[in-house]
Amino acid sequence: MNLWMVLFNKELVEMSRNFKWIWVPIVFILLAVKEPLTLYYMPQIIDALGGLPEGAVIELPVPSASEVLIAILGQFNTLGVLIIVLTSMGIIAAERKSGVAAIILVKPVSYASFVTAKWAAAMLLLWVSYFIGYVASWYYVVILFEAVPFIDFFQSFLLNGIWLSFVLTMTIFFNSFNKSPGVVGFITIAIIILLSVLSSSFSHWLQWSPSLLPTYTNTFLLSNEIPDNVLSAIIVAIIGMIVLLVCSISIFRRKELA
Amino acid sequence: MSAVVTVSGLRKSFQNEDVIKGLEFDLTKGKCIALLGANGAGKTTTLQMLSGLLRPSAGSIAFDGVQKGEDFRKLIGYLPQHPVFYEWMSGREFLEYTGMLAGLSKKESKERAEELLEMVGISNAKNRRIGKYSGGMKQRLGIAQAIIHRPKLVMLDEPVSALDPFGRREVLELMERMKKETTILFSTHILNDAEEVCDDILFLHKGEIVESGSMKELRDKYQQSKIDLVFRGESDQYIEKLSSLVEIQSISVHENKISFFVHNIDDAKHAFLREITDRNWPLLKFEISKTSLEDVFMKVVEK
Repeated sequence: MNLWMVLFNKELVEMSRNFKWIWVPIVFILLAVKEPLTLYYMPQIIDALGGLPEGAVIELPVPSASEVLIAILGQFNTLGVLIIVLTSMGIIAAERKSGVAAIILVKPVSYASFVTAKWAAAMLLLWVSYFIGYVASWYYVVILFEAVPFIDFFQSFLLNGIWLSFVLTMTIFFNSFNKSPGVVGFITIAIIILLSVLSSSFSHWLQWSPSLLPTYTNTFLLSNEIPDNVLSAIIVAIIGMIVLLVCSISIFRRKELA
Repeated sequence: MSAVVTVSGLRKSFQNEDVIKGLEFDLTKGKCIALLGANGAGKTTTLQMLSGLLRPSAGSIAFDGVQKGEDFRKLIGYLPQHPVFYEWMSGREFLEYTGMLAGLSKKESKERAEELLEMVGISNAKNRRIGKYSGGMKQRLGIAQAIIHRPKLVMLDEPVSALDPFGRREVLELMERMKKETTILFSTHILNDAEEVCDDILFLHKGEIVESGSMKELRDKYQQSKIDLVFRGESDQYIEKLSSLVEIQSISVHENKISFFVHNIDDAKHAFLREITDRNWPLLKFEISKTSLEDVFMKVVEK
């Protein structure tokens, strides 16, 4: 078995031993399913909880299926992002902090394999959980609201997923020069917030920013047209991820591990 | 005899403070070498530089048969002072994992893991999670992972310091067996351990090698014969008379015990005993001994 697969396989086994393969998909399903259900049953919920004067008429506009999908992606891009950062902020940092990295990296292991195997495993967990969650929500949207063509669903899935992958890659990058998982998590979240604020305030200059991908996804869902700048944002995101990974590897290689 | 590794001008400083101040040594193939020193002498830092975990501030480390820039890590095995493992793995899984990382095939790795689990004596716990291992078991597992790929040089950082007497005994015996197959460099602050299994010694003190050589050379160089005498009453009064009898190197008095360090133990013995019996001095104790290496250690460190 080649070395990269050994490392990758170890990550997958670790994720199943500490139940990440169970709880991360479940969290994504809950986040996803919550939106269509609450939006659909809102009148009944308000009714049941009471608090409104007798005879008050509740009239809420029924949201369109696209709006529900946007709300779901909104959940993924806030709480989902938090989960991604929390599950991967210690992926390298914790191993260095505990000292197990000193045993592993004294063996003839390539630093590139070490980092990319971890990245690939975290990506797999992310995409599987995100896919299961989004499919579950799609099911409820179709049942409770209206049919959304699979192709639209799938395109929005891919588009938004690129942003989530970018977030994950940033977390891995900050792992490469930080020993403390908490610090890694904090920096990543701070940068994500900063990126989102910057690119939405200066959106006409930063149209290629990967952090606008969620906005583009929303536009796409509402208008069913692919916004002009999507391609540049995707390209920047992919190049950004490659650069971040390459930098992670070279920084990590230069780091003293003891 | 060729050297496994040659170290020259090795320095390391942390925040402008020199921790290692220019080490020069080489390790001979097949020997067991003790890196001896007090706490804070720089033993761990030295081993970490040799294993590539720390980058030297200056100087070079050249492994035999490895070109500059080539990966030397396949040649070495390393046990950190406080080994940490993946707690969720079992001992067997961890060994197989490190074996494969070190370049063994899956099959070789499995076989070698079984063999080593047996050798270090934790095969009955091989399927237990490492998180449930005791300190001694972790130490053994650490040794097993260090030698799984049959490295040319095994470096053990304080392998026995944290163990109880039984564990210590067993690990030392394990090292005795490992000596036949590979070169061992291990650090310790306990001289007895070094004396027991080692051929050569490197004395490290405040980041410098203050003494090195084979066990025998050091003994010959530093060991002295001494005669301890204890008399009833004040012993001091006899010192002057006795020290005029033979050539004495040095004298030390501890409470009522007088220790004479001498070159020729036989002459001194006869002369002292004759004098004492002739004059009928009230002798309580007469003991001939050699200075222990512990004394040598102290002497070297105090220099």
